Amino acid sequence: MKTNKLASTIMFTVTAFSVSAAALAEPSVEELAERLERMQQEMDQLRQQLKKSATKEEVQVIKKDVAKAGERLQADNLVHITGYADVGYTDSESEDGSFNVGTFAPIFHFQYRDLVMLESELEFTVGDDGKTETNLEYLTIDWFINDYMVLVGGKFLSPIGQFRQNFHPSWINKLPSAPPGFGHDGAAPVSDVGLQLRGGFPIGAVRANYAVYLSNGPELIAEFEDGEFELDGVEAEGFGSDGDGEKVMGGRLGIIPFAGFELGLSAASGKATVTSIEDGDSSVLNGEGERDYDVIGADFNWQYKAFNLRGEYVETEVGADTGSGTAASEGATWETWYTQGAYRFPQSKWELVARYTDFDSPHNSQDQQQWSIGANYLFTNSFIGKLAYEFNDGQTGSDANQDALLLQMAYGF
Amino acid sequence: MKNLIWKCVNTVRKKAALLLLTVLATQSLYALDYPEAGDFAKGSKAWSENCARCHNMRNPTDLKDGLTSLFHMRVRAGLTGQETRDIVTFLKGVNTRSRNGSVSNAEVKASVNESQDKLLGKGIYENNCMACHSADGRGGLPSVPDFTRKNGRLTKKDSELLSNIINGYQSSGSLMAMPPRGGNSQLSDADLNAALKYIKASFSE
Repeated sequence: MKTNKLASTIMFTVTAFSVSAAALAEPSVEELAERLERMQQEMDQLRQQLKKSATKEEVQVIKKDVAKAGERLQADNLVHITGYADVGYTDSESEDGSFNVGTFAPIFHFQYRDLVMLESELEFTVGDDGKTETNLEYLTIDWFINDYMVLVGGKFLSPIGQFRQNFHPSWINKLPSAPPGFGHDGAAPVSDVGLQLRGGFPIGAVRANYAVYLSNGPELIAEFEDGEFELDGVEAEGFGSDGDGEKVMGGRLGIIPFAGFELGLSAASGKATVTSIEDGDSSVLNGEGERDYDVIGADFNWQYKAFNLRGEYVETEVGADTGSGTAASEGATWETWYTQGAYRFPQSKWELVARYTDFDSPHNSQDQQQWSIGANYLFTNSFIGKLAYEFNDGQTGSDANQDALLLQMAYGF
Repeated sequence: MKNLIWKCVNTVRKKAALLLLTVLATQSLYALDYPEAGDFAKGSKAWSENCARCHNMRNPTDLKDGLTSLFHMRVRAGLTGQETRDIVTFLKGVNTRSRNGSVSNAEVKASVNESQDKLLGKGIYENNCMACHSADGRGGLPSVPDFTRKNGRLTKKDSELLSNIINGYQSSGSLMAMPPRGGNSQLSDADLNAALKYIKASFSE
C-alpha cells in the first residue's frame, strides 16, 4: 500500500515537472523572428505618432494662439466718435441768471490704417432765442506722410498759439469761459481753410513740434461811426472762399526743452479785405483795397506735478487802406494775453484756478481786463464741475464791465 | 523790424515750398505692418509726458480701443509716428489681461527687449514705473504719491504693496489708477518684487 502511494507521488511529481519544463522551454527561432517583427511594427507606429506630436515650443505657440483667439483683429478701416459737451448757469451784473446749454461737439474720425484719417467736429449750440445753431468747427483729411509730417487739408483750427487748437474744449479748459480775445471775435484767429503741414521731431533730448499753413485767410468788418468808416473786427473763422484771392501763410513752432514745459512762437502774414459792414448794408462796399494782415503770438505751458501754469500772447494787426474804397480807413490792432495758474490738491478731486487776461481792441467798449478765479471738482479726469467768478473791468456801462458768476458741467467723451 | 522779418519770409517762401514738395515726393514708404509694434517703456514715458501738456491725464484703460484717438493726438500734439506707435503698444499692454500671472501678451513681445528679463529692480523701475513715479520717487504727475513722504505709501506692508502692484490700485481721491503690473503684463511677480525692493531701498527713509 505504501509502495503504491510512493509510486503515485513519484509519477505525479515527474509529470508536473515535465509539463512545467515544457512550458518554460526556449522559443523557437521562428517565434523570435515573429516577435521581433511585431516589435518593429510597434516601434514604427510610435515613431509616426512622435512625428505628429508637438514640441514644447510648438505647445507654447499654440497656447499663445489660443490666448489670442478671442481677440479682435485690427481692422483696416476704423470709425471712432469722441467729443465733448457742457451745460451751465451764468449770472452777470447786467442780466438775470439763466441756465444754458453751452456746446455739444461730437468729433468724428474715419481712419484707414496709418495712412489717412478724416477728422470732423460739429458744434451744436442753443441760442438765446432757443434755436439750435450748427457749425462745422473743423473738417480735415490728414495724410500721414511719414513719421514727422502730416499733411492736413480742409477747415482746421488755427495753429496760432495753443488755446484755440488745444485748450478750448470745455473738458480741457479749466475755466467755464475763454479768455477775452481768444473767442470767436477776438484778437486770435479761430480757424482757416487751406493746407497745413504739421508734425513733431526730436533735436537730441529736446522735442519740437511745428505747423505751417497756407489758407484763404480772414475777412474784415467795417463800421460807420461819427461820419466815417473804421475797422470793426477781423473774422478769422475759416471762409470757404477767398474773395480777394490773396492767401495767408502762417504757423507755429513749439519747443519742449524738458518734460512738462513747452514754449511756442506763432506768426501769420497775408492780405485781407473788408467784405461787410457791422449793422449796415454791405452792398454799398465798392473798390475795397487789400490790407496787410499780420499776426504774431507766443505761448508757454508748464506742468510741474500738481501745478500748471500757462500763458499766451496774440497780436493781430491790420494795415490801412488808403485807396478809394468805400470803407477805406486807418489800420487797427487787436492784442490780448492771459496767464493762468491751476493747482490740484494731492489725493483730492479739487482743483483751484486763477487767470488774468488783458484784451486791447481799437474800440474802447471792447477793451477788457479780467480776473477769473474758480474751483473745479473732477468727478473723473474728463467729467468736471466748475464754479468761477469773473471780475471784469471795461468801459463803464459796457458788457465788458460786468462781473459774472459761472457754473459749468463739462464732459469729454 | 517786423517788416524786415516778413520780407525775409516772403523771399524764402517759394524756395521753402519747393523744398517741401521735394521732401514730400521722396516720402513714399508706408507701414507694411499695421499697427506696427512700438516700445512699451518709451510708450509709457511718452504717454505720461505728453497727455498732461494739455489736459488731465486719462486712465490708460479709458482708451481700450484708442488707436484712432492716438492718431488724432499725433496731429494735435505734434507727436512723431514712432512716439505714436510706442504709446499704442503701451496701451495695448495695459489693456491686455495677464493670465495666471504669467506671460500672456504676445502683442507686446516686440516692445520688450529680451534683456528685460535680466533687468531687476532699478531697470524695471526705470522702464515701467519712472514715467509716472519720476526718477526721485516723488511722483511726476498729479495724484501720483510721493514715495519719500514720511508715513507715506511705503509704510504699508510689503505684501500689501506687492499685491497693489500686481493687481493695480487706485487710491482714494486719485483720478488715475495704477494699472496691474504697471501696465506691463510681461513682468513676473518676481520682477515686480525686485522693483518694490528697489523702490523701498531708494525712496523710503
